[in-house]
Amino acid sequence: MTDLLVLHTLRCLGFTDLARIADASGLPEPEAESRLIDLAVDGLVTRTAGPFGGWGLTEAGKAADARLVAAELTAAGARDAVVGAFEDFLVLNPELLDLCSAWHLRQVDGVATVNDHTDAAYDGRVLARFADLDRRAEAVCGALGAALPRFGRYRGRLAAALARAEAGELEHLADTTTSYHNVWFQLHEDLLVTLGIPR
Amino acid sequence: MTLVHRLSPAVTADAGVLGGKAHGLVVMMGLGLPVPPGFVIATSACRAFLRDGRLPGGLEAAICDMRPAERVSVRSGAAVSMPGMMDTFLNVRPGRGVLEAVAAVFASWHSPRATSYRHLHDIPHDLGTAVIVQAMVFGDRDEHSGSGVAFSRDPSTGAPSPYGEVLFGRPGADVVSGRTATRPLAELADREPGVWAALLDGLARVERHYRDVCHVEFTFESGRLWFLQVRPGGLAGRAAVRVAVDLVDEGVIDRATAVRRVSAAQLRAARTPRIVAARVLARGLGASPGVAAGRIAVTADRAARMAPDGPVILVRPHTSPLDMHGLAAAAGIVTTVGGPTSHAAVVARSMGRPAVVGASALTVDPGAGIVRVDGRSLPEGVLITIDGSGGEIVAGPAETVAGDADPHLQRLVGWAAPV
Repeated sequence: MTDLLVLHTLRCLGFTDLARIADASGLPEPEAESRLIDLAVDGLVTRTAGPFGGWGLTEAGKAADARLVAAELTAAGARDAVVGAFEDFLVLNPELLDLCSAWHLRQVDGVATVNDHTDAAYDGRVLARFADLDRRAEAVCGALGAALPRFGRYRGRLAAALARAEAGELEHLADTTTSYHNVWFQLHEDLLVTLGIPR
Repeated sequence: MTLVHRLSPAVTADAGVLGGKAHGLVVMMGLGLPVPPGFVIATSACRAFLRDGRLPGGLEAAICDMRPAERVSVRSGAAVSMPGMMDTFLNVRPGRGVLEAVAAVFASWHSPRATSYRHLHDIPHDLGTAVIVQAMVFGDRDEHSGSGVAFSRDPSTGAPSPYGEVLFGRPGADVVSGRTATRPLAELADREPGVWAALLDGLARVERHYRDVCHVEFTFESGRLWFLQVRPGGLAGRAAVRVAVDLVDEGVIDRATAVRRVSAAQLRAARTPRIVAARVLARGLGASPGVAAGRIAVTADRAARMAPDGPVILVRPHTSPLDMHGLAAAAGIVTTVGGPTSHAAVVARSMGRPAVVGASALTVDPGAGIVRVDGRSLPEGVLITIDGSGGEIVAGPAETVAGDADPHLQRLVGWAAPV
């Protein structure tokens, strides 16, 4: 039987390295790698060598993932609940993107200027808005987790990214592969794939 | 206190009462420019709504007295610009529909996204928005209809020629959404010479009035032009410097005004290196500043494979997490759709890579490994240079110039120096 946890995690991460797949799927690295190799034997994932290499899905892998995820959604009778949560997600999404933009670029006297993070008050204001948005995102994640348990992991990953940023590791808002923005984008991709909506 | 003002040149209330957008409409009417008929509901009505949780008494009757057109647009317009943050309703029929739309626009002042925007930009939370109700004009009426946006001068360089985008046979929402490929503004000259002449005349008049470069939104319906919005200023860096200096040469403003207009931040931005190119292949929105040159790759996989042999520019319709390895490998990023908050823009900025987004004149054909522009085909591997400040894309290598060598900047700095 195809390992949907690892296949679907990689589908939503896109193209990435072992450490990130293990982290996002909540598996130890050797376990994640062993499952990836099984998926590769089945022709569903492939590994590219080289300095920008990593793991990614084949076309067959994408098709298999779409089929399995659709079957899972039907079996759980969760379509309506996920559609509703997706609509709530789409209300929050533009605000999240505004906040990421505000984090990287700042309007100074009418000029978009790279935020050099020397103004702690400004950074604090952006961080406070992230925290406010996160409180509203919690409800959406809760509804998703109740509808389909595998969505439950996003709540913890978003909260972890925000907590690290609030503890002073500000790159965890929008600048790392485990940042709030990145986990958010993965959730967006997951919702689109789960509901079979093309991007 | 007047809650509702008919849009007319006779209105004397200021932008604090009417909101910036409606105030601009009144200015344009005063200049004799065609503006769809309508009225504006003052910001005080919004403040009353936000305080009491219902529309103020007398508003319904006041709106009825205005006898709205059969189909109207209902748009927000605060005293301070908050673009895209509040609700807009199109094709609203008179009666309860208009009232409900007005209440919904008022309520959208407190939407979380608008609230976040005010927090980030230091805008007071108690200002409220005005609401503009205007007769609809239809850019998709017939083959002599369309919509567009125009600057009175080139927003990238400041050069004194109009610049913008137009969509033939489409409503204005399609221009702003960025989902449909637009045409260069100058195509109006051939296809709708009457509209083009009226537009040039209008741009000249608003420039004279504001004594500054202006940006307008317009729709033309069955060959007749309508102005929907005007905004003065808004240029950045070297373009802002050039406009200020040119306006002095044209006798529109004096040197002191020019110096005052260009802020320290503008001067700093003017000094960042920019492409100098006689021929621009295409132009999008500068989404992450800096200049990058590299060979075209049209898929993330190809970018990752080509990158070890030298710099690559990843050119995509748009990007998603599936493209992360390509984004990481690329020296610069171009997308053909999407705006400044798109995935590509956010990721490029987080990595400090130059990026141009929404370069709608380009078409990417990943199957053939080709980028098409204006009938030209650029296969993968061809060198291009991109400027993430001005949004220019040029073929081949491009010379860059640091701002200090810019003649307009030198003159402006000279005027600023103590005598």
